[in-house]
Amino acid sequence: MNNAIEVEQLTKYYGDLLAVDHIAFQVRQGEVFGFLGPNGAGKTTTQRMLTTLLEPTEGRIVIDGHDLASEPYPAKRQMGLVPEESNVYTELTAWGNLMFTARLYRVERERREKRARELLEAFGLWEKRDVKVDEFSKGMRRRLSIAMAIIHRPALLFLDEPTPGLDAQSARAIRRLIREMNAEGTTVFLTTHQIEEANQLCDRVAIINHGKIAAIDTPEQLKAAFRQVQSVEVALDPDGQKHGDPLLALSGVTKSVKMGDKWRLYTEQPSALLPRVVEYAQAHDLELVSLCTLGPSLEDVFLQITGQEIGTVRHEREETERRGRKGGRR
Amino acid sequence: MNEGVMARLRDEVSQAWTVAVKDVRVYYLTPPMIMFGLLLPFFLFFSFSVRREIAMEVGIARLLALTTFFTASSAGPVIIPLERRTGTYDRLLAAPMSLVTLLLGKTLVGAFFATLVSLVPLLVGVLALGATVADAALLIVGVPLASLAFSAFGLVFASIPTRSVGNIMMPSTLVRWPLMFISGIFVPLEEMATWARILAYVSPLTYAQDLMNHAMLGRGYLNPWLDLALLPVLLVVFLIPAARLHHRARVLGY
Repeated sequence: MNNAIEVEQLTKYYGDLLAVDHIAFQVRQGEVFGFLGPNGAGKTTTQRMLTTLLEPTEGRIVIDGHDLASEPYPAKRQMGLVPEESNVYTELTAWGNLMFTARLYRVERERREKRARELLEAFGLWEKRDVKVDEFSKGMRRRLSIAMAIIHRPALLFLDEPTPGLDAQSARAIRRLIREMNAEGTTVFLTTHQIEEANQLCDRVAIINHGKIAAIDTPEQLKAAFRQVQSVEVALDPDGQKHGDPLLALSGVTKSVKMGDKWRLYTEQPSALLPRVVEYAQAHDLELVSLCTLGPSLEDVFLQITGQEIGTVRHEREETERRGRKGGRR
Repeated sequence: MNEGVMARLRDEVSQAWTVAVKDVRVYYLTPPMIMFGLLLPFFLFFSFSVRREIAMEVGIARLLALTTFFTASSAGPVIIPLERRTGTYDRLLAAPMSLVTLLLGKTLVGAFFATLVSLVPLLVGVLALGATVADAALLIVGVPLASLAFSAFGLVFASIPTRSVGNIMMPSTLVRWPLMFISGIFVPLEEMATWARILAYVSPLTYAQDLMNHAMLGRGYLNPWLDLALLPVLLVVFLIPAARLHHRARVLGY
């Protein structure tokens, strides 16, 4: 069986700027493949090249055995695209948008009307089918945009940041829909910077950074490769927020990050750190509201690979030591 | 011909038609379309024709040429940057059709708008003011043909990689206005100096104006068959660079 997507040496220059640097990967039939990366890493550029919206400078893309350069039409027929911005025609009704897309993909009249009804009902838009999309909420537009992308039953669906900006209910409905489509056999290529979303949905993920594929594997395998970002999470009472620096000073802690009312202490040996935290709480007459060990999350892996910072408040040992040395000189 | 090729051709024609019908429904009353496609040719006509002693038929022939030229060549430059801005152009580029099919669809839209707008002065002139048409058949064929050629001309400008209508209208105006002034639309070809007439032949509007003169007045400077033959040639001549430039815009990410 052909891979759903095969990419070889894919490269894109914008003038002198190298946006995508000779990347290669495969997406298997029927999998949900996550494409993660920080802003400007090259993920949208890659997706635009895969969907023929952008000409690559170099490299080869094969969609289900069809080379995109020499056989774009059979390849395009297999694809559905949901871009980041819901690109629906606001001057048309929901029904008008679906009929237009179906005609563009040459879906026969009877089939397109049946399919449009089926999709509008499934997406909760049937009652609004004759309303101009101009009056739709963001969530409704996104649902319509997805319906338009799958009206021709594509074997491969590209989704670019499908849930940001949506309320929790709409985001959950869209994730459920992605799972359902995948269960029916649709291969999904999901471009996102919502790491938890990728963790929940994807069979495999690729992390792109500075235009290069930095890692590609299943979420669990990626996490297993980053055991150094294990942690212990602790909530102390009273005044739990004040204990960042002393907790960082505990033996074995490489970094402490404030996570709401808790502290996450990164360590290579969580089991050795647990008794030290308990000891610290007892010594300072603090109640341990919660204490647990955590494996590396996909977000930790992503941040490690992309060299970005973990959390919003960071207390690194080196910084503390540097501050200490400066104090000593004073 | 191979059955697969025929099926593909049928698909492409149907897709071009689908794009055109959608554009007509979506963009017929957008403010830039009204401004650049509907009002501008009428303003130009009145600016250069009021208080000048010209026959009704001369005025209508002039207005027909102006509306086909400005309305048709405004459609692409208005619609394509608007679609780039809303992201709907991506939907068309990702669809299983060739770039030429997409551009043909856009050409049809411009031609449709221009033909429709041209009907206004024609009907007012004939029904309300008693103007006569010398050769109706020439008019029925000539107006859509000229509109198609000028619509493709507008697509050349629409290839400028931008999401702003203004960024396209500025260079488009810089080119279209001089073409209008050298075309013989305000100074008849027969009254021009030889060098000016040679210059006039550079402007595609010259052939539309001459054809409208034949249709309305029963006389023109060039052979009407030459005008009729040149307009489809111009359609192809404009579509080729338009397709190349739009492909180039896609390389740049537009």
